[in-house]
Amino acid sequence: MTSLRTEGLTKAFGGVRAVDGVTVELRDGLINGLIGPNGSGKTTFFNIVTGMIRADAGRVLYRDRDITRHAPHRVAHAGIGRTFQLCRVFPRLTVLENMLVAVRRTRLRELLAGLRDKGEVERARHWLRRMGIEHLEDAEARDLSYGQQKLLELAAVLMAEPDLILLDEPAGGVNPALIDRIAGLVRDLNAEGRTFLVVEHNMELVMGMCDHVIVFDRGAPIAEGPPSVVREDPRVLEAYLGV
Amino acid sequence: MRIASRGIPLLLAALAIAYPWLVPNYYLVYAGALTVMYAAMATSWNLLGGFTGYVSLGHSAFFGLGAYGTGLLVTRLDVPWVVALVVSAVLVTAFAAGVGVAAVRVRGASFVIVSIALVSMMNLVVQGWRSLTGGSTGLQVPSPFPGLHRGQTHMVFFYLFLALLALALLVWWYVSRSRFGAGLRAIREDEDKAESLGVPTGAYKVTAFSLSALFVALAGGLYALWFGSLDPIFVFSILIGSYMVLMSLLGGVRHLFGPLLGALIVAPAGEYFLIALGETQIHLTATGLVLVLVVLFMPDGILARLTRRRAGPSIHDQSADQRLQEVTP
Repeated sequence: MTSLRTEGLTKAFGGVRAVDGVTVELRDGLINGLIGPNGSGKTTFFNIVTGMIRADAGRVLYRDRDITRHAPHRVAHAGIGRTFQLCRVFPRLTVLENMLVAVRRTRLRELLAGLRDKGEVERARHWLRRMGIEHLEDAEARDLSYGQQKLLELAAVLMAEPDLILLDEPAGGVNPALIDRIAGLVRDLNAEGRTFLVVEHNMELVMGMCDHVIVFDRGAPIAEGPPSVVREDPRVLEAYLGV
Repeated sequence: MRIASRGIPLLLAALAIAYPWLVPNYYLVYAGALTVMYAAMATSWNLLGGFTGYVSLGHSAFFGLGAYGTGLLVTRLDVPWVVALVVSAVLVTAFAAGVGVAAVRVRGASFVIVSIALVSMMNLVVQGWRSLTGGSTGLQVPSPFPGLHRGQTHMVFFYLFLALLALALLVWWYVSRSRFGAGLRAIREDEDKAESLGVPTGAYKVTAFSLSALFVALAGGLYALWFGSLDPIFVFSILIGSYMVLMSLLGGVRHLFGPLLGALIVAPAGEYFLIALGETQIHLTATGLVLVLVVLFMPDGILARLTRRRAGPSIHDQSADQRLQEVTP
């Protein structure tokens, strides 16, 4: 089944076409990698898909539903979660409060429910345990180390129960031990049925973790396929090495 | 600690209820009622400002509209005062929702400017619409308690404002413990991030904006019934809006009792300056100066200073890798 499909997605900033007619399709249940040189439009692509910026042209479909002009919170309700390139948590909320921000549906009863709602707190603790940061639940997020904040960000995204998770540089700025841990988490979460789209510069990680890799250059995909194939593709080598 | 956090508010509540009977003259009852009115309005302002971080300098618009709405319903339509008060507040809240849809689209300094513009517009409308509002000559509202003398009226309104304050505090407390409140705080911290987690930030902000207008409008309506005469220049002044901001910031916007504490300091100080210096504009300068000092040196307010936990990081210094080494074999 198709998870995410975009058709001719285009966005220009001034005269620069950051994303230029992108048509891609992600299959459900895979870990997809999205790679490309700096400025090739990967983050802009993320921002369009999640509704944070509007495309000039093109369509975004998720599980065959058109979500092109949906506000970000409706994209989230449709089942797409994301993390940010520079990890973003709510610095002056506690770890547990960070977890309880996520809204799955806009229902009055859910919104008026207390923060100490047992079921929700239990769900939050479950994800914090899986990230290995449950001992920090009462700390303010700004007191966490960068690596812990990255784990918290992912845990909070999981609270919204997304089926497709977009990760923007999950290994950026974290140490090798934590990279292994995050890669392991992504594989486990994928095995439980979640689809991933991962923007990452760490090639070793991408090639080792992903089932399918899409390569962007100058705002458009230039190659895609299994990691082993993409790695040998002359167009990819040219885009990266300029040979 | 628990005894202190439960006991002190109860003690203060008892003191507040006894206050009119403890003071030696009606002037102090009047000053008390004024202080409690400001406390209710600042607490209400904090429903928006404290949770979402959207600083409105224009909440006096809702005060003025609540006052004129109540006054006009009583004088022109002969509506009973309680009905006038409630109907007017509901109308102002609906109006605030409409304004909110437009106003909360802009953030930071732009929102402050929009909120100031709102007050100025309301002021001009009310002054200009002479046939309805009496224009700049003001509106006279008959007292709802003609049988009582002036001092007794102060007492009645002291308790009415106290009830309003209790209601505003209760709502703030309830919101702060709800997931809605968590969403509002998330908006303050990082609005786009909150949106990406599924929080309908627009709807949340408009709801907080309207809720915050509601109690200010009720305070305005009570003010109209209490004072009996409305002057558009005063009720739509930036000063009233600035007071709400100053009181909240001074006491601490992140605390239930922050705005109340701020009001207990600022309102009596304002009254004192009025007596000591007469009808000068010095209290305006003083208000501005104190606001600047608070923002510069104590942006989290007095209560944040007092309740700050022990120094140092609130968790033991342990990095993710140290933690990892513990959990990975």
